[in-house]
Amino acid sequence: MSMYLLSAHDISALVTELQASYDVYGPQVEPQTKQVFFDQLASAEALDLAAPIPSMPVKEILFPQMERILKYKYDAQSQSVELSKQYFERPKVLFGLRPCDLSGILVLDRFFLGQEFVDDVYLTHRRQCLLISNTCLHPFPQCFCVCTHSGPDADEGFDLDLTQLKDGILVRVGSEKGQALADAHQWSVASAAHAAEFKAVVERSIDLFPELATDNKAWVAKVMNRITTGFVKPETWEYIGDQCFECGACSFVCPTCSCFNIEDSATACGECERLRMRDSCSFEGYARMAGDHNPRQPVEDRRNKRFFCKLSYPQSKKYLRPGCVGCGRCQWVCPGDIGLPNVVQYIRREITGGQN
Amino acid sequence: MNLAHYKPCVCNLCGTGCGQFLNTDGQRVYGVAPLITHPVSKGKLCIRGWHANELLNTHERITTPLIREHGELRPASYDEAIAKVMSTLQTFKGEAGEIGVLASARSSNEDGYTLARLSREVLKTQLRGIGAEAGHRKSMDSLRHAFGYPGAHGSLTAIDHADYILVVGTDITRQNPIIGGNIHAAQRRGARVVTLSSSRTQIAKLSTKHFQEKPGTLGLLVNALGKSLMAIRTVNHDRRANIDKLPGYSEYAASLRSISSVALERASGIRYEEIEEEAKYLEHAKSVVILFSSGISGLDRPTIDAITNLALLTDRMDHPHSAVIPVAGISNLQGSFDMGMSGELGNSVFKALATPDSAIKALLVIDHDDGIIRDKARIAALDFVVYACAYKNAFMELADVVFPLPAYNETDGTYTAADKRVQITRQNVDNKRGILPGWNLWQRLAAAVGHHWGYQDAAHVFKDVAKHTPGYADLSHELLGKGFGQHWNPKGFASSRQRQFNAINIEYWEAPTSPQFPFALMIGKAQHYWHQNNLMRKTIVPRREYDQTLWLYPQGYIEISPDDATRLKVKDKWLVNVRSSIGTSMKIAVKISPDVQNGTAYIPYFIKNMISDFLLPYENAYAAGEESVIPIQIQE
Repeated sequence: MSMYLLSAHDISALVTELQASYDVYGPQVEPQTKQVFFDQLASAEALDLAAPIPSMPVKEILFPQMERILKYKYDAQSQSVELSKQYFERPKVLFGLRPCDLSGILVLDRFFLGQEFVDDVYLTHRRQCLLISNTCLHPFPQCFCVCTHSGPDADEGFDLDLTQLKDGILVRVGSEKGQALADAHQWSVASAAHAAEFKAVVERSIDLFPELATDNKAWVAKVMNRITTGFVKPETWEYIGDQCFECGACSFVCPTCSCFNIEDSATACGECERLRMRDSCSFEGYARMAGDHNPRQPVEDRRNKRFFCKLSYPQSKKYLRPGCVGCGRCQWVCPGDIGLPNVVQYIRREITGGQN
Repeated sequence: MNLAHYKPCVCNLCGTGCGQFLNTDGQRVYGVAPLITHPVSKGKLCIRGWHANELLNTHERITTPLIREHGELRPASYDEAIAKVMSTLQTFKGEAGEIGVLASARSSNEDGYTLARLSREVLKTQLRGIGAEAGHRKSMDSLRHAFGYPGAHGSLTAIDHADYILVVGTDITRQNPIIGGNIHAAQRRGARVVTLSSSRTQIAKLSTKHFQEKPGTLGLLVNALGKSLMAIRTVNHDRRANIDKLPGYSEYAASLRSISSVALERASGIRYEEIEEEAKYLEHAKSVVILFSSGISGLDRPTIDAITNLALLTDRMDHPHSAVIPVAGISNLQGSFDMGMSGELGNSVFKALATPDSAIKALLVIDHDDGIIRDKARIAALDFVVYACAYKNAFMELADVVFPLPAYNETDGTYTAADKRVQITRQNVDNKRGILPGWNLWQRLAAAVGHHWGYQDAAHVFKDVAKHTPGYADLSHELLGKGFGQHWNPKGFASSRQRQFNAINIEYWEAPTSPQFPFALMIGKAQHYWHQNNLMRKTIVPRREYDQTLWLYPQGYIEISPDDATRLKVKDKWLVNVRSSIGTSMKIAVKISPDVQNGTAYIPYFIKNMISDFLLPYENAYAAGEESVIPIQIQE
């Protein structure tokens, strides 16, 4: 892997240059609330690579909460239907992805593109994307990517990867597209010392993870085993289900949750638009089948479905990694306090018989 | 630099007032994100808040003024519609009770204030009201008597620090989920959370202690807790308390003393010893938060009085982490009340409509919530009806003139949450169709008959609000734009330092059930959507969720306990005949629920036929709100 060393000015110039031919998105701090979002950059100055993990996952851009995908119009006289596609390809740069969000994109890729059917909407958003990741120098509260093999540094899937070192920003190249950018700019090649410093930076970041996260590392694997084999007691699921407020937040902020709902909505006489919006397995209506059968009516059955999706071997085989990327956002947004780390904790408690 | 797409605002879908970002390009809204630093919601939203984008994208909007001509509504210009409305309304006598104005609890303070001005100064009518206020006035009257001002005592953020949290009645994780979540978090950090509720609601399951009383005895239970607390005080003379010097104390104490533990147990099903145990925790708590639901499915006055009295009796109400909060289901119920849109007693619009020989001839209605319209025949028979709303609604069919209004993110406005927190939402999408904000529409109506108010924008209106509304004096749009709002100041009321007990009567409520009608039927047990059908039916995912139970129980359902189902020899989804003691009846499916106690039955509030055919004849059931009980028989 080739590595280069850039200055902050180089990075800024790169953003400005890319903006000429791409929509460039990156982490920014909302001025009034100080909340971080991965949003389109108005200018290179808005990019804040040191900002904490964005509050919403980057899937906002590739798989928005709601989008219009189709419009159609039925002409009764000629008995013809006019269809028009409502999603369009725009070259994008996702500049400064946290490794967890990058892992999330890889999972979504495997779900939307890597199976029998290719999702054209997702493909259109994803096709001309340049992915530039950014190593986390220290964990943010509630991060536990060390448990889910998705950080603090990225190891696959990026075109370029950035790491802040003492002398400048280390750029690792991860793809031909990335290499082409490096060659075009004739960036200065990083030294072996820089490569060593990179390793040390990552090691230090791992050391800084709270004990809960590092300690949970083995437990995530153990809990996966439990969930896969179906040995989690119903009482534990009930305990978790009782705390579910059925808001759907966990799915909406999860970088890997890919479920969606489709609705055709009439706009005018004979005219209709097709909306696609994120859905969540925490909702009762999500699993209802024709004929009113609902295999997952009780809330605890819906809850365990979610954790089965995030932490079980069959799902991991599909995604080639665990369904959870350890970003901890579900813990932030859950009004019932059953974010994934807590669920691991409850199942762990069950395994140890309450001994932690 | 402001972000390209994420704009902060306040969720407008219940009275909690959660912080919310809308993901918008200034034309349309694509998504929602929670606001992490918001002091109340702290980065959480409920199913309603998370789907605000669906509501804001609905095509079921009113987009232009409409005038009814030859029985059909046709588009009209503002000039024409305004002229028509004012020339017609001038033919009625407001002073004589011929014009009624029914405001919305979802309108901004600016809209509410100007509507109140229009009603008072131009239409000159006393006949005012807020669509969903029914129970809120009772809460306000009781709080005003107890604390000296009509509003919540303390802040919702007190939940995060209080030692003791008492939830009276409300199914709060459904009605105001984020408040419910904060209570749950408080329980997990070690606060004692106690729920009084006749059914095993989610918050009951998440509480430290749940008292599952028999229906109709909430107030008695709260008073019994007061009695035990008073008894402990009598023993512990070291308590500082000058509570006994407050007006009304001796009468209150005498009433409490008269509670008989035997009668209490018979009426409520709760043993007095259990309450005595509970009172010990209450006595030791340094800070106490009490929550109850207020508004259309709120509590009756005696129960609210029992609550405010207990709050005073704890002697902890001056602690910064104590609070008594009437939890509102609609975003600006408190604000609409503050703006003076609540009808004075005896001037209820609903009463005027229900009274056959009342003088009412014309009606101006804003944003009618329910698909269900009470007194529909009477409204249809009125001479003139004006309706204004952002969204299409069945009420349009009754209107002679219809005005559009902007959605909550299409105009600047302030909203007052259940705990008096006043917050601002700024316009974050273009108002493409040039829809007049409410304040400007009311201003134009007034101007059409020579009343010129001269408001330039919503901030200008708010200056007047601050000048004329007690408690709002320190507030301005500029100030509110800086943080996450500010509570209005109780010191705006001269009596704000006053504390006094409400007069109570101890009644051992006997269930009106009989051998012939053995079940106590309760209405108003909430689903996710409470009574905001008009809005929730315009979303996609929440609507689907709302419909879940209706798909399973297309004719609606009545919840009964597993034991009662066995006794009646019925199974889940079987149809039964439900007959009430006044003779109304309906066919409805059974839903068997372990959360319901034997001898009680619940019907959710939102199912149309039940309300119109079965419950509406029960005027008292509406009045008593959450605690109303109807004796019924259930037959296979």
